[in-house]
Amino acid sequence: MEAAINALPYLFQGLMTTLYIFIIAIIIGFIIGLVVALLRLTPIKPLQWIAKLYVDIIRGTPLLVQIFFIYFGLNSLTFISLDNTTAGIITIAINAGAYLSENIRAGIQSIDKGQTEASRSLGFSGIQTMRFIILPQALRRMLPTFTNQAIITLKDTSLLSIIGIADLTQRGEVQASATFQSFAIWTTVGIIYFVVIYLLTLLSNFLERRFELR
Amino acid sequence: MSIVQVKNLKKNYGQTEVLKDISVEINEKEVVCVIGPSGSGKSTFLRCLNRLEEITSGTILVNGHEMTDKNSDINKFRQDVGMVFQQFNLFPHMTVLHNVSLAPIKLKGKSKSEAETLAMNLLEKVGLKDKANSYPSQLSGGQQQRVAIARALAMEPKIMLFDEPTSALDPEMVGDVLNVMKELANEGMTMVIVTHEMGFARDVCDRVIFMDGGYIVEQGAPEDVFTNPEHDRTRSFLSKVLKG
Ligand SMILES: Nc1ncnc2c1ncn2[C@@H]1O[C@H](COP(=O)(O)OP(=O)(O)O)[C@@H](O)[C@H]1O
Ligand SMILES: [Mg+2]
Repeated sequence: MEAAINALPYLFQGLMTTLYIFIIAIIIGFIIGLVVALLRLTPIKPLQWIAKLYVDIIRGTPLLVQIFFIYFGLNSLTFISLDNTTAGIITIAINAGAYLSENIRAGIQSIDKGQTEASRSLGFSGIQTMRFIILPQALRRMLPTFTNQAIITLKDTSLLSIIGIADLTQRGEVQASATFQSFAIWTTVGIIYFVVIYLLTLLSNFLERRFELR
Repeated sequence: MSIVQVKNLKKNYGQTEVLKDISVEINEKEVVCVIGPSGSGKSTFLRCLNRLEEITSGTILVNGHEMTDKNSDINKFRQDVGMVFQQFNLFPHMTVLHNVSLAPIKLKGKSKSEAETLAMNLLEKVGLKDKANSYPSQLSGGQQQRVAIARALAMEPKIMLFDEPTSALDPEMVGDVLNVMKELANEGMTMVIVTHEMGFARDVCDRVIFMDGGYIVEQGAPEDVFTNPEHDRTRSFLSKVLKG
């Protein structure tokens, strides 16, 4: 118990690293997801193929392998040099982007065709229709799945401890081996993750009510 | 002066010919009703007029623009052609006022206040000024359809297309929508209306077009078509719908 309390400031620093990586990665991941979803919906076949290949590769390989590929694999090339935080953020963003693109695509496709027709009949272009009419509705509708992915992504960041990023998990390991109080430390680490994810869920519920499609 | 000229319009979906050979002209300020059995191609015909459907062959001139010309800016042409759908298709994430003012702001570069004044005038005209700040889902079907009409009018179109505007409405809502359309007709709007409201067609339209099987079978003044149809198919269609 005492070991856990003494470790708290140190663990909170780790939490800050976790949140820092998570927030940047989920924002970049969302932008990637949006772009890839739109690419998959363009009429231009090669763009569709590239987007689909990307999604398939990410979904078809373990995240840990992706982390190793980017941090060790890419770094072994002479012209690339990434520090572990950058590599970690890139990997998490690319990973979340693939899953989010599928969610965004499903959200876009779930919007009734009549919306597009009404918009086009007023004289809006396809791009304007996407921007003013379809996306605002699709993104509202996908908020719950977005929260799901955000929670998964937050938890995924714990794998980054393996490439030496001093996140919450890595600091938990350090504390556990330094204090020999594994039970107390890992319980504490678990509770911190749980509370953060719980707060994330509350935030999302609030946003959902706020932006509910009337 | 004809505002719409359709020549030898054909439309296929894969192997099926939906519009077989349609030629028709519509004059400025004319109110044309299109009637016919379901599946006869009425909606497809209407949707070809603003190129929501790509045609297979033929030519369609609206306001002197070749609508099917691939090299011209269809988005610009569509601004002059308002359309009202059976399912209203209001934008559910926007207030009524925003639904009506969006297109003038984004497409005509009107200022927000200018567009909202215009929108309020149109909402007053369709009897829904007090609903400006409501969302579509808070309105009845009839109210939504009147907002949809206001939304189309906000682009100040030269011609309005209606695809069964009252078919999705509860019977007690139909009158309000038809009255708005009647008023529009009296103001001299050019209108093409696909409808099953035979009373409305008879009272308001200048011309009735009867379609069946992808053809225009017969057309003329409502009193002629309704009381004295030339074709058997028109007669049997009318006897079915007028009885009910
Ligand atoms: N997207 C489509 N694909 C294939 N067939 C279609 C499509 N839309 C309409 N059709 C067919 O075209 C015919 C005419 O349809 P439509 O114009 O909607 O008729 P109406 O409006 O007179 O009821 C129908 O037989 C219908 O099944
Ligand atoms: Mg129809």
